[in-house]
Amino acid sequence: MMIKNTFDRFGGLLKLPIRFLRLWALLGCCVLGIVVIMATGSSIAGFLIAKPFPGDFEMTEMGVAVAAFMFLPYCQLTFAHVSADIFTSRASLSVIRSLNRMGSLMALAFSLLLVWRMYQGLLDYQIYLETTTILQIPIWYAFVPAVLSLLLWSFASLITLIYPEGTLGSPITEVLKTDDDAV
Amino acid sequence: MTMPFELTIGLLGLGALVLLIGLRVPIAFGMVLVGGAGVSILNGPGIFMSQLKDLTYVQFSIYDVSVIPMFVLMGNIASRSGLSQELFRAANAWLGWARGGVAMSAIVACAGFGAVCGSSLATASTMGKVALPELRKYNYDPSLATGTLAAGGVLGILIPPSVVLVIYAIIVEANIVTMFMAAFVPGIIAVFLFLLTIFIYVRIFPESGPARDPIGRSQFWAATWGVLPVLAIFGCVIGGIFFGVFNPTPAAAVGVFLVALYAILRGRIGTEGLKRAGLDTAKTSGMIYLILLGAEMLKIFMSRGGVPQAIAEIMGTSGLEPMTILVLLLLGLILLGCLMDSLSMILLAIPFFWPVLVELDFGMGIEDLKIWFGILALIVVELGLITPPVGMNVFVISAMAKDVPMMKIFAGVIPFFLAEIFRVILILMFPALVLWLPGILSG
Repeated sequence: MMIKNTFDRFGGLLKLPIRFLRLWALLGCCVLGIVVIMATGSSIAGFLIAKPFPGDFEMTEMGVAVAAFMFLPYCQLTFAHVSADIFTSRASLSVIRSLNRMGSLMALAFSLLLVWRMYQGLLDYQIYLETTTILQIPIWYAFVPAVLSLLLWSFASLITLIYPEGTLGSPITEVLKTDDDAV
Repeated sequence: MTMPFELTIGLLGLGALVLLIGLRVPIAFGMVLVGGAGVSILNGPGIFMSQLKDLTYVQFSIYDVSVIPMFVLMGNIASRSGLSQELFRAANAWLGWARGGVAMSAIVACAGFGAVCGSSLATASTMGKVALPELRKYNYDPSLATGTLAAGGVLGILIPPSVVLVIYAIIVEANIVTMFMAAFVPGIIAVFLFLLTIFIYVRIFPESGPARDPIGRSQFWAATWGVLPVLAIFGCVIGGIFFGVFNPTPAAAVGVFLVALYAILRGRIGTEGLKRAGLDTAKTSGMIYLILLGAEMLKIFMSRGGVPQAIAEIMGTSGLEPMTILVLLLLGLILLGCLMDSLSMILLAIPFFWPVLVELDFGMGIEDLKIWFGILALIVVELGLITPPVGMNVFVISAMAKDVPMMKIFAGVIPFFLAEIFRVILILMFPALVLWLPGILSG
C-alpha cells in the first residue's frame, strides 16, 4: 500500500514532463508544417514562373529529418512501435508487461547509445564544417534538435519502463488519454 | 560442406530476430539490436560505432522518405475533417438506387478515400463511421455490411498516396512515380471486382442488400457538387505526379496544404483537430522512421553475412520453375501477413525475396520485374488485414459494430478475399495489366 502511494505521488510528478514530451512532438509537427508550406510555395513558384525556391529539397530533407527525430519521444510514450503477436496472445498480463519492459529497456539502451554517438557526429560535422550543397546550411544545425530529441527519447523510455502499456492509473494514460478518442 | 563464418552468424542473427519478434519486442527494436550486434561481430564494433555517428541522420533525411510523413499528415487531416462523408454521399447518390447499392457506394467511397489517405486501417475506420449507420438503416445483412467495410480498407494500398508502396520502392530502388502509375490499373480492377462481388452476392441473397429510397434531383446534384473539391485535390496531387508536373514529395506537400486549407475554410477542423491530426502523424511517422532505420541496419548485416545471396542460390539451384518460386514467395507473404503488419513485413521480407527473383527468368527486364512483383506483393500483404488471426481491419469494424459477432464479419469478408485472389491470378497471368500504364506515360 505504501509503495502504491509513493508510486502515485511519483506518477503525479511525471505529468508535467509527459506534457512537455507531447509539446515536443507538436513542435515537430510545426517543423513539418513549415516544410509543407515551403514546398507548396516552391511548387507553385516552379509551376507559375518556372523558378522554384533554390535548395527547396535540401530544406525538405533537413526539416523532415528533424521532425522525425522530434517525434520519437512521443512514439515511445504512446507505445506506437508495432510488435507482432505470434506466441504471446494467450500469455498472462504480467508476462506481457515484463516483455514490454524489455522493449523499453532496449529503447533506453539504444537511445543513450545514439545520444553519445550522434553527439560525436555533431562535433565531427562542426569541425569539418560540412554543409548542404546549394544553401550552404551547416549540417550540424540539424544534429542539435536531433540529439536533444534522442535524449528526450531516453527519458520517455525510462517512463515506459516504469509504467508499461496498460498500467492502471499510469500518468501516461492520465495525460494522453484525450489524444486518441478516434482511431 | 562447411558454412562460411559470415553466413553462420547471419543465419543465427535471423533466428534471433524471429525469436525477439515472437517475444513481442517492437519490430524496429529487434531489427536495430540484431543488425547492430551482427555488424559489430562481422565488421568489428569500431566501424559500427563510427557508422552510428550519422547513419540515423542520413536515413532520416533521404529525400524519397520525406514523402511519407506528408502523406500520413494528409490522411490524418482528411480523416478528421469528414472528407469521407462527401465521398460516401456522392457515391450513394450515383449507385445507391441499385440492389446492394449502398454497399457498392461504400466500396467506391473507400477507393476515393484511399486517394487522400495512405492507410488501410484509417480508411476502414473513417468509412466505417460514415457508411455503417447508412447500411444499417437499409437493413443490410450484417455480414455483407461489415465485410464490405473491412475489405474496402485494403483498396487504399494501390491507390496513391500509399505509404507501403513508397517503402517498397525505396527498398528495391524502384522509381516511385513508375510504381504509382503501375498501381493504377490494378487498383481500378480491385474496385471493379469488389463491386461485382457485391452484385453477385445480392443476386444470390436478394434480402441481404435492399436498394435505398430514391432521392430527388436536387439532392443528387448537391451530393455531386459536394464531392468536387475532394476530386480536385486528388486530381491535383495524382495528376501532377503522373504527368511529371512535380515529384512525389512536393506533390504530397501540395496535397497536405490543399486538404488542410479546404478543411479549415469549410470549418471542418479546428485547432484541436489539427493538433490531434499532428500527434497521430507523429506516432505513425516516428514508428515508420525507426523501422526504416532498423531495416537499414539489418540490411547492412545480412548482406555482409551473405544470407539473401545464399537463399537466392538455394532457390536458383532447386530446379523449380520461376513461376512456382514466385507463387511460393507470394504464399509466404500471405502467411506472414497473418502475423504482422504489412509495413514491417515488406521491410523484413523483400530484402530476402528480391535477390531470389532477380536471378530468375520471367522474360522481362529487371525494372519491369520490380514493378510487377511489387504490385503483387503489395496486394497479398494487405490480405493479412482481413484474415484471421490478426485481421486488423476486421477488428476496427468489429469495434464499431459490437452486436455483430467477429465470425460473421470474417464470413462477410470471404467473397472479397476470393475476389482478391482472383485479382492476384489475373496479374500473375497478364503482367501487362501492371506494366501497360507506366509504359505509356513514361514513354
